[in-house]
Amino acid sequence: MKAFRALTINTVRSGLRNRVALFFTLGLAVLFMIIFGELFGGNNFGVNYGVVDADQTAQSQQFVAALRSIKGVTVNIDSRDAALNDLRNNHVDVVVEIPHGFGAALTNPSAPGVTVVPIQASQTSATASIGDQILGQVLNGFVTKGVPAAVTLGRPVSSSVNNITAIDYFLPAMLAYIILQSGINYVAIGLADLRARRVLRRFRATPLRPAQILGAQIAGGALTVILQLIVLIAIGLLFFQAKTYGSWLVAAVPILLGVAAFVGIGFLLTSAASTSESARGLSSFVAFPMMFLSGVFFPITTLPSWLQTTVHVLPLTWLTDALHQVMNDGVGLNAIALDCLVLAGWAVTTFALATWRFRWD
Amino acid sequence: MRVITADGLVKRYGDLVAVDGISFSVEAGEIFGMLGPNGAGKTTTLEMLEGLRKPDAGTATVLGSDVVRDARAIKTRIGVQLQATALPPLTKVREAIDLFAALFPTARSTDELLIEFDLETKATTYATDLSGGQMQRLSIALALVNDPDVVFLDEPTTGLDPQARLNIWDVIEGVRRRDKTVVLTTHNMEEAERLCARVAVIDHGKIVALDTPASMIATHAPGTTIEFDAPHGVDEAAIREIEGVDRVSVDGRVSVSTRAPERVLRELLDPRAHWLVRKDDGQEVGIRDLRVRQGTLEDVFIALTGRSLRT
Repeated sequence: MKAFRALTINTVRSGLRNRVALFFTLGLAVLFMIIFGELFGGNNFGVNYGVVDADQTAQSQQFVAALRSIKGVTVNIDSRDAALNDLRNNHVDVVVEIPHGFGAALTNPSAPGVTVVPIQASQTSATASIGDQILGQVLNGFVTKGVPAAVTLGRPVSSSVNNITAIDYFLPAMLAYIILQSGINYVAIGLADLRARRVLRRFRATPLRPAQILGAQIAGGALTVILQLIVLIAIGLLFFQAKTYGSWLVAAVPILLGVAAFVGIGFLLTSAASTSESARGLSSFVAFPMMFLSGVFFPITTLPSWLQTTVHVLPLTWLTDALHQVMNDGVGLNAIALDCLVLAGWAVTTFALATWRFRWD
Repeated sequence: MRVITADGLVKRYGDLVAVDGISFSVEAGEIFGMLGPNGAGKTTTLEMLEGLRKPDAGTATVLGSDVVRDARAIKTRIGVQLQATALPPLTKVREAIDLFAALFPTARSTDELLIEFDLETKATTYATDLSGGQMQRLSIALALVNDPDVVFLDEPTTGLDPQARLNIWDVIEGVRRRDKTVVLTTHNMEEAERLCARVAVIDHGKIVALDTPASMIATHAPGTTIEFDAPHGVDEAAIREIEGVDRVSVDGRVSVSTRAPERVLRELLDPRAHWLVRKDDGQEVGIRDLRVRQGTLEDVFIALTGRSLRT
């Protein structure tokens, strides 16, 4: 056990010291989150409000003026239908309806309170959430001048089911990307290199059992992946303010099964390749198509239909699907049972084949 | 006491017979050398003793245990340095020693090994940044981490510059002084003569000679070789006539083999023996760059196999 632990720790340490591999896994994942978050997030340094003034009082007009006075904010006053149409066409980021009774609620303490409900399109993310915050501040400032607790800001209502932002979508996708790349970078290529450089043979000259030597390399690779996943989740939540909806305990199930499946694939690639060069080549051959076809960068629904059925063979498709479902839609374990089963199947099959085919030199 | 016995070891790779019936034994506390060209079967023999390869035929014991049945038990009591030692990537010197120490039930202290192998100042250096000699010292230190009774060193000095090679020889002699038995392979003759109590000369998977270097030379390359340049040529037949000369060859340099070097040298250098060396019209140009050397293992190898070792 002491030997296994020492060998595993050494593997993790040298894995984390490998800057090139780290760039291609965690580094690229962060870079993709920056690029795609920016590209699809559409943060234009300004918020366009479509305002529907159903109140038509002095107070509602003062509120619109206060909103308009904020730097970077534009306001279009329109009918409800026209405003929602603008929202659909991305001409405005948030539609705000000032309900009838807004003015009364502010001036007459006995009038019933009203709620201002912002409406957002899906995928307009960063801008929309900034829009909410601005709206809340303006409303707060406004209300304290008038009658307390008369007007509250309602929870934003999305015009689509998934109220997710680009970064919310890319965080689970990038977790899947790291699992794919790491399984390959730290196991397939790493293990083939150790074999080619006769390091495995050197370990065999110690009292370690063969299973301990291989097991420690594989456990070390898996741990290296998991550490990177934790770092990426922290970066996503803290720096990119990604929102997740499902339970992390549920998400951990497909994550761990995914790590097992891709580490298994890496192990199998080592067994299939005779040299470390061919391990590198095989790895790219396996990783790249999967990366672009399995819903990491683009939803699978954008693929032609014949390809959609084909990509369901790939384990990455199931992993990204499970992670999107848990982290974006907040589903429970039942909803992703099939995904988990497929990943477990890949893990068991690849490990069995790799163990059977593995050669020490 | 015999610590290693090999009896009829055979290893085949497809049609190639890498080791073809090798038998020998190694006594406790000696440095035993296996000498031969690349591909002779030295490394394969070593790896069968280390429990890394299973013999196709024959048996071997190390420290009384069978190398096939008790491979794991043997591995706790032997130290192994593989040819061209590689370590896991991005591992520092101290980390490498700590790692290998953890792989054995008991181990020597890392600091002690760092000092013994003059690596204290390199403790936090990546192993890949070490010089050839330092790397070799590290890999011998790793072979000694479990304080083994028998140490196997596969070509410990191949690829090193002469100074680093001398340093490694001191290291290996130091290992022997700690009462370890050392088995090493080499294709360096000087190394075998300097370090080894006994040497097995291996060629094409077979032992062609096994003895102490001195008696091997006395048997297969007796006598002395006298070599010199003679710019204007020599009378080869006349030299052959000198009493005590066994063999003469003129191949650029003149090479005279003899078991009576004093007598032959006296004759060759006798100023009255002007008839031996052709001179250029009264000019006294005779022998230049004279060297006298004893037979070496190199000569033994040539005598045994008809080929030079350095190919």
